[in-house]
Amino acid sequence: MRLYVKARSFLRNLFLTERVEQDLGLEVHSHLQLLIDENLRAGMSRQEAQRAARMELGGAEQVKQQVRERRLGESLHSWITDCRFGARQLYKNPGFTLTVVLTLALSVGANTAIFSLVNALLLKRLPYAHPERIGTLYEHVTSSRGSFDFRTGVDGEKWELLRDNTPALISAVSGSTSGVNLKAGSRVQYVRNNRVSARYFDVLAVQPIRGRNFSEDEDRPNGPKVAILTYGLWQNVFNADPGIVGQTILLRSEPYLVVGVLPQNAITPSNADVFTPLQPSRSGEGSGSNFTAVTRLRDGMTWQEADAQINRAWSSLGQEFEKNSSGAKVTYYSVPLQKGVTDWLRPQVLGLMLAAGFILLIACGNLAALTLMRMLRRTSEVATRLALGASSWQIQRQFWVENLLLALLGGAVAIGVGFLALRGLFLLLPPRFLPVASVSLDARVMTFTMIVSVLTSVLFGMFPALVVRRVDLRSSMDGRGAVRAGGIRTRQSLIVGEVALTVVLLSGSGLLIRSLIHLETLPPGFNPTGVMVAKASLDDVRYHDPVAFRRLLDESTAAMRQIPGVVNAAVGLSLPYEGTLNDGVRIRDGQEAGAQAGTDLIYVTPGYFEVLQMPLLAGRFFTDADGPDTQHVAVVNQSFARKFYSGTNPVGRYINKDTMIVGEVADVPLSSSLFPIAPLMVEQTMYIPSAQVPGTYLGLIHVWFQPDWVVRTAGPVAGLTAEMQSALAKADPNLPASGFYRMKDLLTRTLATQRIEVALLGAMAALALLLSTVGIFALVANMVAQRTREIGIRMALGSTVGRVMLQIGRSGVSASLAGVVLGLALSAGALRVMTSVIYGVGVYDVTTIFVVVLTISAVTLLATVLPALRIASIDPARTLREE
Amino acid sequence: MSLSPEPSALLQGTLDLLILKSLASGELHGLSISRRIQQITGGTFVVKPGSLFPALHRMEEEGWTSSFWGDSENNRRAKYYRLTKAGRKQLEAESKRWSRISWAIAQALEVS
Repeated sequence: MRLYVKARSFLRNLFLTERVEQDLGLEVHSHLQLLIDENLRAGMSRQEAQRAARMELGGAEQVKQQVRERRLGESLHSWITDCRFGARQLYKNPGFTLTVVLTLALSVGANTAIFSLVNALLLKRLPYAHPERIGTLYEHVTSSRGSFDFRTGVDGEKWELLRDNTPALISAVSGSTSGVNLKAGSRVQYVRNNRVSARYFDVLAVQPIRGRNFSEDEDRPNGPKVAILTYGLWQNVFNADPGIVGQTILLRSEPYLVVGVLPQNAITPSNADVFTPLQPSRSGEGSGSNFTAVTRLRDGMTWQEADAQINRAWSSLGQEFEKNSSGAKVTYYSVPLQKGVTDWLRPQVLGLMLAAGFILLIACGNLAALTLMRMLRRTSEVATRLALGASSWQIQRQFWVENLLLALLGGAVAIGVGFLALRGLFLLLPPRFLPVASVSLDARVMTFTMIVSVLTSVLFGMFPALVVRRVDLRSSMDGRGAVRAGGIRTRQSLIVGEVALTVVLLSGSGLLIRSLIHLETLPPGFNPTGVMVAKASLDDVRYHDPVAFRRLLDESTAAMRQIPGVVNAAVGLSLPYEGTLNDGVRIRDGQEAGAQAGTDLIYVTPGYFEVLQMPLLAGRFFTDADGPDTQHVAVVNQSFARKFYSGTNPVGRYINKDTMIVGEVADVPLSSSLFPIAPLMVEQTMYIPSAQVPGTYLGLIHVWFQPDWVVRTAGPVAGLTAEMQSALAKADPNLPASGFYRMKDLLTRTLATQRIEVALLGAMAALALLLSTVGIFALVANMVAQRTREIGIRMALGSTVGRVMLQIGRSGVSASLAGVVLGLALSAGALRVMTSVIYGVGVYDVTTIFVVVLTISAVTLLATVLPALRIASIDPARTLREE
Repeated sequence: MSLSPEPSALLQGTLDLLILKSLASGELHGLSISRRIQQITGGTFVVKPGSLFPALHRMEEEGWTSSFWGDSENNRRAKYYRLTKAGRKQLEAESKRWSRISWAIAQALEVS
C-alpha cells in the first residue's frame, strides 16, 4: 500500500509536473491570503497586513523551491531538465550539432557496415542445429620452410579411412559445385549441382520436407542415380509438384530419381540448386584431393577425442607425406565449419575493421576539437553558473548529457548510413561471393553501433570535461578572455594524430590501387577487343563420348562462323583471366629431361589462337588435320619454353608419352591454382587440340570447368548473344549457355576480391581525408575568428595581409606536416602486413608515397588558405573600435 | 514576538511528530497546522512555511496524510490535510519513540 502511494506520487511528480506545480502555487498563494486575513482580523491596516504576511511566508518562490527539492523523483526530474536544456542548446547551435551528428554518422556508419560483415562472417552462428558441433578438417604442416595451416583436401582413400575409423564423428564429403543442364519438360536450363556423400544432410541436421536423404547404398560407386532438390528449384521449375518424389528428372542428359526436397530455408555451404550423391571412390575424381569434409560431433564426444581418432585413421598418409618431404610433420585437427568456410576472408575483414577503427579515432579527434572549442566559448556561462552556486558535478552532468544526446542521435543516423553502405557494397559484390546467405543489420550490429557511438562521445567528451575543472572564475567572468594558447596546442596535436592515421589509410589504399592497376594492365598477350564469350556446361553424359564431343565442337563453331559479322569462332577449356586445369607433364628431352612437373592444361579447337589473336612465336597453330588418330601435338607458351628448355625453341621436342610440341605462343595472364601467388599470373601452359583429349578426361574435367565458345567480330554485332545461343542450339538443342561475357567481364570476375578491397579501403581513406581536412579547416577558421582583434592590431601596426595569413595558417600547416611525417613512419611498420594482398608493387612504393604526400599537402593548403582568406576582409579600424 | 528555534534546529522527526499530532483531531490547512503547533507547544515552536510545506508534501508522498481542496472558515480556498491510516500508525509509533527518548533524556539529566 505504502509502495503504491509512493509510486503514484513519483509518477505524478514526473509526468504531471504542470499540475503538481499549479497545485503548489495555489497552496502557497492561499497560505499568504490566510495570513493576510489573520493579520487583518488582528486589526492591522491592509498594507501592513500584507507586509507582515509576506515576511512570515519568507518568499513564495523560496518556499516552492524547498518543496521541489524534497520531492520524490527529484534527481530523475533534474536529469530530464538537463536533457531538455541540452536538447535546446543543441537546437540553438544547428551548425555544431549538424557537424557532430554528420561526423558521427559517417564514422560510426562505416564501422557499422564493416562490423556487420564481421558479424555475418565471423560471429554469427551458422543456421544449423548445434552449429558448435559442426566442423571441418584442417592440417598443420611443419617443415623446414615454416609451418602452415590449411583446410585439408580429401581424396577417396582419406575419405574411406575417415568414414570407417572415426566413431566420434558423423562425417560427409562433398565435391565442388558445378553447373549442369537440367531438362524439365521441354525446357533445358542451367542449374548448380553439388555432389555430396550420404550423411551430408545429417551433418548439417537438415531434414527434407518431402522424401528422404541419400542412403549409404546410393552413395556407392556406380550406385543408382538419385537427386534431392532445393525448395527453390522444386517451386520454380517443378511448380511445387506434390508428387515430385519418385519422379525422374533429366540431369546431365541422364535420368535421376528424385528422392527428396529440402526445406525452404535450408542453407548449405555449397549454394547449389540440386544435390546428387558423390559416390566417391579411390579412382577418377577420388584419386586426387578433390573433396572437402564436414563433420558433426556425436553426442557425448569431444573434439579432442575426434581429433585423436582422425590422426590415428590418417597416420599412414601422414607418414607417407613426412617420408616424401623430409623433416616435415603433419597433424590434422577439427575447426568449426564457420571458420573453415570464412578463413580466407578473415584477414581482409579484420584489416577493414582496423581501418574503420582508424576512421573512428580521426572522427574522435575532430569531435574533441569541436566540443573543446564550444566549451571554451561557454566558459563565461560556466563561470556564471559556478558563481551562482552550481556544483562542478551539476555542470559536468550538463555536458555529459549533451554528449550523450549527440551520441544517440549520431548512432541512429549511423545505422541508416551503415545500411546504405552495406547496400552499396552488395551492388559491388558478385553473386555468391560471400560464403554466407546474408549480411544484415541485426540486434548485435545495432548494439555495437550504439556502444561505439556512446564510447566515441565519451572519448571526445572527456576533453571539455577535463577543461571545465580548471575554469578560473575571475578570469572567465571578465568576458572576452585572453588568447587560449592551450586549446590551440591540444587541437594541433589532435590534427597531427588525424593526419598520421589518414596517411596510413591513404598509403594502404594507394598500394591496393597500384596493385589492381598492375593486375588489370598486365600485358594481355592477346587482343581482348571484339571478343564475345559464351559458357556452357558439358558435364553431360552424352559428351563423355569423344566422338559426340568433337562433333558438338565442330558443328557449333561452324554455326557461329555463319553469324553475320563474326570473323572466326573457336572453343577452349578456359580463356585468359580464367581459372585453369592443372596436370602433370613429363619432359622427355632438353636440360630438364625426365622431369615430372605441373603445368596448366587447356584444350582448344583449331582457330582458338587466331580468334584471340595470340602471337605465334615459333612453329605452327593447330589445324583440322590434328585429329584423334594422328600424331599427338601440343602448343606451349613462352613460360613453358623458358622453364623447361631455358628459352630455346621448344618446337619438335617431345613430352609425356609421344606428344610433340609444334608451336610456341605468347604468355597470357591466368588465374591459376597451380602455384597461386597472385590472382592473375603468367606461368607454364600447355595447349592441346580438343580432338586429342583422352576420353577418360572428358567426364572429369567438365565437372570442374565449363568450356568457352569464343567469337571474334569485326565490329559491334546486334543480338550477338542470341545468335550465339541459337548457333549452339543448332548443334545441340539441349545445351543452354550459362552466361555471356566480354573479356573485360572475365577480368572483372577474377579480380572481384581486389576491386572490393580497393573500393572499401579507398572509401575509408577518402572518409579519413575528408575528416582530417575538416579538422584542419576548423582549426584555422577558429584561430582567425578568435584572433580577429590581434590581427586587427597587427595590421594597424603595419603588417601585411599576406604575412598575417602566413602567421595564422602556419598552425594548420605545421600540424599537418608533423602528421605526414608521423604517418609515413607508422606506414613503414604497419603496411608490411599488406605484403600478401599486393602484387607487382612493393610496400615501400615511391609513387604511392609521393601521391599520398602530394594529396595531403594539397588538401592541407586548401583547408588552410580558405579560412585564412577571411583575414583579408578584416578591417583594422573597425576591429579596434569594437574594443 | 516569541522567540522561535531556527527551523533547522527543529529535528525532522520532531516536526513530523508535531504535524501528525496536530492533525490527530481532524483535518487542517497549512496555516492552521502551524498555528495549532504553536498553540499545543505553548508557543515554543513556530513552524515557518519554508519548513512546513516541504514536510507536508513529503508526508503526503509517504502516504501518512492525504490532501484535498476545501473552503476555509472565512471562505478562502485552502488545501486541507488529514491523517490516513498509515499516518495514525506513524503517529502512534513516533509518539512511543519520543516518550522513550524524552524519558531517557529526563533520567539522564536527573542523575547528578
